[in-house]
Amino acid sequence: MQLTLKPPRLSLARRESLWAYAFITPWIIGFLIFTVGPMLASLFFSFTTYDIVSAPKWIGLTNYINLIHDNLFWHSLGVTFKYAVIALPLGLIVSYLVAVLLNQKISGINIWRTVYFLPSVIAGVAVALLWARIFDPKFGILNPFLAQFGIKGPGWLSDPQWAVPALVIMSLWSVGGNIIIYLAGLQGVPTDLYDAAKVDGATTWQRFRHVTLPMTTPVIFYNLILGLIGTFQYFTEVYVLTNGSGNPARATLFYNLYLYQNAFRYFHMGYASTMAWVLFIIVLGFTLLIFRSSDAWVYYEGQLRGR
Amino acid sequence: MKNNLFRVLTLMVVASMFLAACGAAAATQPAEKVKVVIFVGMGTGTDPDQVDAQNQLAQKFNSTHDNIEIEFLIVPHEEYATRYLAMLSGGNAPQLVGPNGVSTVAEFFDTWEDVTPYIEADKYDLSDFYGPAVELNQYPDKNTGLPLGLYPSYIYYNKDLFDAAGLDYPTHDFADKSWNMDKLREVAMQLTLDKNGKNATDPDFDPENIVQYGYDDSWDGMRGTLADWGAENVGRPTTSDYKTAVADSPEWIQGLQWLSDGIWKDHFIGSAEVQAGRDSAGVDPFGPGTTAMFYSHTWFLAEGLHDLSFSADIAPFPYNPKGDRIARIDADNFTIPKDAQHKQEAWEVMKWLTSPEIIVDVCRIYGCIPARKSVQDKFLEQLKTDYPGIDYDVIFKSIDYLDKPNNEEWIPEWGKIEDALNNGLSLVYSGEEKDATKVLTDANAEVQKILDEYWAAHP
Repeated sequence: MQLTLKPPRLSLARRESLWAYAFITPWIIGFLIFTVGPMLASLFFSFTTYDIVSAPKWIGLTNYINLIHDNLFWHSLGVTFKYAVIALPLGLIVSYLVAVLLNQKISGINIWRTVYFLPSVIAGVAVALLWARIFDPKFGILNPFLAQFGIKGPGWLSDPQWAVPALVIMSLWSVGGNIIIYLAGLQGVPTDLYDAAKVDGATTWQRFRHVTLPMTTPVIFYNLILGLIGTFQYFTEVYVLTNGSGNPARATLFYNLYLYQNAFRYFHMGYASTMAWVLFIIVLGFTLLIFRSSDAWVYYEGQLRGR
Repeated sequence: MKNNLFRVLTLMVVASMFLAACGAAAATQPAEKVKVVIFVGMGTGTDPDQVDAQNQLAQKFNSTHDNIEIEFLIVPHEEYATRYLAMLSGGNAPQLVGPNGVSTVAEFFDTWEDVTPYIEADKYDLSDFYGPAVELNQYPDKNTGLPLGLYPSYIYYNKDLFDAAGLDYPTHDFADKSWNMDKLREVAMQLTLDKNGKNATDPDFDPENIVQYGYDDSWDGMRGTLADWGAENVGRPTTSDYKTAVADSPEWIQGLQWLSDGIWKDHFIGSAEVQAGRDSAGVDPFGPGTTAMFYSHTWFLAEGLHDLSFSADIAPFPYNPKGDRIARIDADNFTIPKDAQHKQEAWEVMKWLTSPEIIVDVCRIYGCIPARKSVQDKFLEQLKTDYPGIDYDVIFKSIDYLDKPNNEEWIPEWGKIEDALNNGLSLVYSGEEKDATKVLTDANAEVQKILDEYWAAHP
């Protein structure tokens, strides 16, 4: 009996590609069914009037036009912007500064890192309930603490002027995720750059300003993008704290909460889909702007400016 | 060849034995029961003790019925809307939903089956139900279900605080017209104390440090809060054709101003800040013993009249400035979704749950007054055991003063209008706007806009 070895019909590269596709097929199927499918369905619903119970009815651009004339749409967008403008930069700065502190070579640093990250693993609902107690003007711990300094604390969650600032304070509780990413970035800064700066006589501030900060701009950029998306999708905490109402006096009627109300309280699923797509466009627009601006302020090691 | 023939024959014998066995099994199998899934979570019914009681109720039904089997599907109250809508859109509608308040019946109004044909087909006698209970389920184009229970409203009062203030208890005499909103305000102010023990009528009263409030009605929305003030449309913010908003009626403005002044001028009602404190502590307004009078419904008996550290009783709600008494009411029923697969069986279960033999047991689970007159005495005995020492007459007599149109009944865009009105209430409770005329004028304009949009889309 003679064995003859046939040359493989497919090249190695081709076979590797096929294997790769075979491995990612389950994910692709899941992505198509559970992400792309609902997205396309919601795009279709955004051009319909649909109450979930009856069949959707095509109404063209009516939902989009109605959105422009909907005061609550603009109000909820305003509340979300107000929150984003305060919470996003504050979250980025606070988490960056904490990460810088946690990057120092001091004893027990791992314990500190764990302590700061721990709140991030607590579910949003639990965080909301915890902070509801902290903010309680009478039985909470925040106002008595402020009273020690002669400050009369407000009714944090019951006063329309203070509700959003209270949520901003609450958001700082969960910056652990950002801190971890910043830490990874900070630890990736080559030490020879610091050595060279020292040799050149740079002060601590100058080393931070001219070495640490530029070298970590890629992670700042990453956290900025994720933070932007996160703040525009803000929902769970405010839903729990206000029982889905957006009160006091609609001061916490965030965009996603109003979207949810339209979908599951008013049964305007078509209108809610329109809101979802408008939100998508808004977030996409801001993300593109940030990407566009990144040439001016994000520095990648080995990259030449302007290339 | 012989082998093959043997194999074929063996296969045929085994197959015939298998089929014969299946046939015999099928012949002796009793007819399969139709399953009626009862969706619980729109209102009460989700507490652990209620879940156990409902499971026992299901066992009782299942052991006495050959053709239908029931199962209570318990859904967390926070998820009732999403879960119910997901079931409907997924083609998996529950057969029965309840207990539903008037509000959740209104919220999902278009999804309910009209039970009128079932009532007519069975010539079902409705005369044993309280008339208002039947009317609360009857809309121009449909009857949403048989009445299960009523929750009349009245004032829960803390006898110890009245004793400490040296004040007479609120009258239990329904004919006494001196018990009106002015009198309530007067008494409530005397019962409101600051940390120095001075009451709200004292010139030296310190409103920044109140430790005890005279009155609270914070567990209801705008419609419920103002339904008792005698407006032409009572608890409905629209005209009867649902086309014109009337939320700025003089009576509603008067009622809201009374509330606003009660919070910010007379200080006998707690603000949003006080409510937030209670909510975060997980306590009701009455239980901690720092509210002298709490206006609520019968369902509060089960929820709040246990393990109190003080003596409590109940009194009728006062007469309004027009000289009428209106005491808003809540009610429960079970409803059949239009998309349910086994509507006839669901109707049979609905009849069983509201039958004279079972309705007392069901209402004990949910805390309602059974909607049947014939079981009133039986239920009264139960009340005396469960809640000794309160004036039961107040409960039953309050039914006669219910709000009609009801404060929770259906209107177009029910949820949207509720939210628009409750935003107004939130403005008052938070102190953002204390002028009731301004609040209700703005709210009315918003409601009118919602109605106009609705009718433009539903000509």
